[in-house]
Amino acid sequence: MIFHSLDFVVFFVVVVALYWRLPHRGQNVLLLVAGYVFYGYVHPWFLILIASSTLVDYASARGMERWPERRRLFMAASILSNFGMLGFFKYFNFFIDNLERVLRAAGLHADLPVLRVLLPVGISFYTFQAMSYTIDVFRGELRARRSLLDVAVFISFFPHLVAGPIQRASYLLPQVEGQRRFSVPAAASGFYLMVWGFFKKLVIADNVGVIANKVFALSDPSFEILWAGVFAFAIQIYADFSAYTDIARGSSRWLGFELTENFDHPYFARTPADFWRRWNISLSSWFRDYVYIPLGGSRASEWRWMRNVIVTFLLSGLWHGASWNYVLWGLYHGVLLVITRAHQILRPPKGLEPGAGRPSSFGLRQIAQTLGMFLLTLFGWLLFRETQWSAIVRDVRLTPWHSPSFDRQAGLFLFLSTLAYSIPLWAQSLCIELHRGRDAGGDHSLEGWTGAAMRAVACGTAFAGILVLRSRTSLDFIYFQF
Amino acid sequence: MSRLHLLVAAAGLLFLPLGVRAANRLHPTPNLQPSYLPAIDEPRDRVPFEASRVPDLARMQPAYVVIGDSMAGSRIDPVLFTRLASVRVAPLLYAGSGPAWWYLALKNWVIPSGVHPRCVFVFFRDTNLTNVMFRIESTWVLDTAARDREDDLNAVVARRRGNAFYRLRTAIERFYQAPQARRWVTPAVNQWPANLMIAYRKPRAAFLERVNERFDLGHLRPMDAADMQATEDREADFDAFVDKSELPLMLRDAAQAGLRLCFTRVQRRPEGNRPPFQSPALQRYTAKLKAYIERHGAIFLDDTGDPAQTLDWYADGDHLSREGRERYTELFVSRVRQRFP
Repeated sequence: MIFHSLDFVVFFVVVVALYWRLPHRGQNVLLLVAGYVFYGYVHPWFLILIASSTLVDYASARGMERWPERRRLFMAASILSNFGMLGFFKYFNFFIDNLERVLRAAGLHADLPVLRVLLPVGISFYTFQAMSYTIDVFRGELRARRSLLDVAVFISFFPHLVAGPIQRASYLLPQVEGQRRFSVPAAASGFYLMVWGFFKKLVIADNVGVIANKVFALSDPSFEILWAGVFAFAIQIYADFSAYTDIARGSSRWLGFELTENFDHPYFARTPADFWRRWNISLSSWFRDYVYIPLGGSRASEWRWMRNVIVTFLLSGLWHGASWNYVLWGLYHGVLLVITRAHQILRPPKGLEPGAGRPSSFGLRQIAQTLGMFLLTLFGWLLFRETQWSAIVRDVRLTPWHSPSFDRQAGLFLFLSTLAYSIPLWAQSLCIELHRGRDAGGDHSLEGWTGAAMRAVACGTAFAGILVLRSRTSLDFIYFQF
Repeated sequence: MSRLHLLVAAAGLLFLPLGVRAANRLHPTPNLQPSYLPAIDEPRDRVPFEASRVPDLARMQPAYVVIGDSMAGSRIDPVLFTRLASVRVAPLLYAGSGPAWWYLALKNWVIPSGVHPRCVFVFFRDTNLTNVMFRIESTWVLDTAARDREDDLNAVVARRRGNAFYRLRTAIERFYQAPQARRWVTPAVNQWPANLMIAYRKPRAAFLERVNERFDLGHLRPMDAADMQATEDREADFDAFVDKSELPLMLRDAAQAGLRLCFTRVQRRPEGNRPPFQSPALQRYTAKLKAYIERHGAIFLDDTGDPAQTLDWYADGDHLSREGRERYTELFVSRVRQRFP
């Protein structure tokens, strides 16, 4: 089931209406049933995968606790089953394709079998979430749960099931186990988040997505048209993914849950490290805690640190999809981080202490840094969006000096069209960044009737926008494919 | 924050969009005729019906009529067909058309023309014939073949699309008069950058036309122009969809007019030296489709698995190259000769 469908709205209203009439255990049973209905709505066979992942991870964790001397064996079973499933469905054809290329290069011809099944949506998200449970139990940071129901609800909690944010077991499981109470402020804030999420998806992401798709379908883009398309894709992927997160977080609040933030206005980042503190935070922190730190993190020599960063980002790129362009995208961001660190070592920055929070001022220098980082991010999105190596090479070679004058105008037209649709997104980010600059950490939410009236107007305007400006081309959430 | 605040927000959500109705009054739109597909479409300007096709066909008196989209267009060369078969062939082809257009072309052009060709060929891919929604939103294509009322077509569209969720969404949109608002808001938003860049109306319109041309099929990457998305198994449910499609209407109308239909399933792009993969569901679907068509007195031809149609015939996606088109036409004519001596 997809969020931006009336099916989901009706499903959600029914679930919430039933949910608060049930005792705690009944609520969890309902969440499990709802999660499975949500996930198996179009392809019921997907349920076999999530159910088997749940059973294996539940049994592995229980086994680790029951037989501590064999915990490595149980951990291996969990890793093998999760990565095996992920590898089979997501990377098998990638592996075969590359093997065929290598054999062909060696002068051998092989007709290797190709897997002909649909990639189960969200498989990368829930396998990583399930893994966080067994890894934490393995490390002794979490005790294995006796209740299979609780573990199953933790893995199949429908609001964030197919596109995150990935929740740690240590954060979400206690919420599954604990008593939940309906809170009006939480429900109200969830309501605003959901409306804003629907607006971002249906009005911003889907409309600029049409522009991006058209540009990336061109066989002969000019420099200006291409970069207008990359800009449109940058807006699309952020609006799309953050919309999913907002709807997930908003709907969770109606069920008495609080999910972690996944985005913090990433296009206002000033350095690569800052970007990764703001973009897909749940995935970044998963890789940080389960890959980067076990590799040695930053408590190692500079060379080992560089290796750790590059390996982490290569894996993070590969997580996004079975294609070399994602690996390249990961490598690009890894290299950006390494270069920034080297630069910081050679010339310690003023006003931005390493490891400290974000700088509070917002002057010319900071604006230049933000713009620079945004341009670097755009280049990353080009690598992310272009799946063919030959297309990437062609795109990189494009220069503004050889474009026909019409293409310059067309590029500007596409850029302005994207900008027009994304104004609400920029305005929101700018307001929050400026507030952060004035009073970091302060709560600026408007209380009382003024705040309520403003939120009512915002909700009504967003709904009117959805009704009138909703794109006629309904696109899937981009992160579904990962 | 109290429950009352939440109620105020909900009230804002529900009542503020009523402003859309008020704004519509400031932007009156001309009285438009209802669409011929009211199940999914609002009143709108339409492309005129191509009435001249009927007398053209009557004058031509073709021995064969070929109906289809670019799959037929990249396979059948009407001039070569005419030369090889020594009879007249009438192509009714529209790139980007779907089963609704094929049905309307048969019903509104071929049948009223009174011609009695030896056969009317309808080219399609996999599940096209029972997927009424396939390219139904290409209204500019449909308009060319549609009359002011198409009740039978609207009925099948409504049966396929008319679930409770869809009706609810339509009701909400109509309540807030969103379709009327889209008529003036969408051009305003989409043309805003052009208004900013070009002051005068004529050059602005020319510029927008050129932008559209810049993104037409000729400028697309081969595989993006190819439209070769594989058939999903959920579409391959013949029993569920056949009565919600144009197929029974085409068979009925052709039988009443004494026309013989031949549905030709083209082969999708082969994979190396192998025919394209067909899931078990698609194979079951094809067997049922063949039985159904033959039971209703029509002919079913299937190119899939034909060893002659190798990958070197193909250009992009499921389209054939110019050479492939010639070879296909030759092959097709030889088959036609055997069947209609």
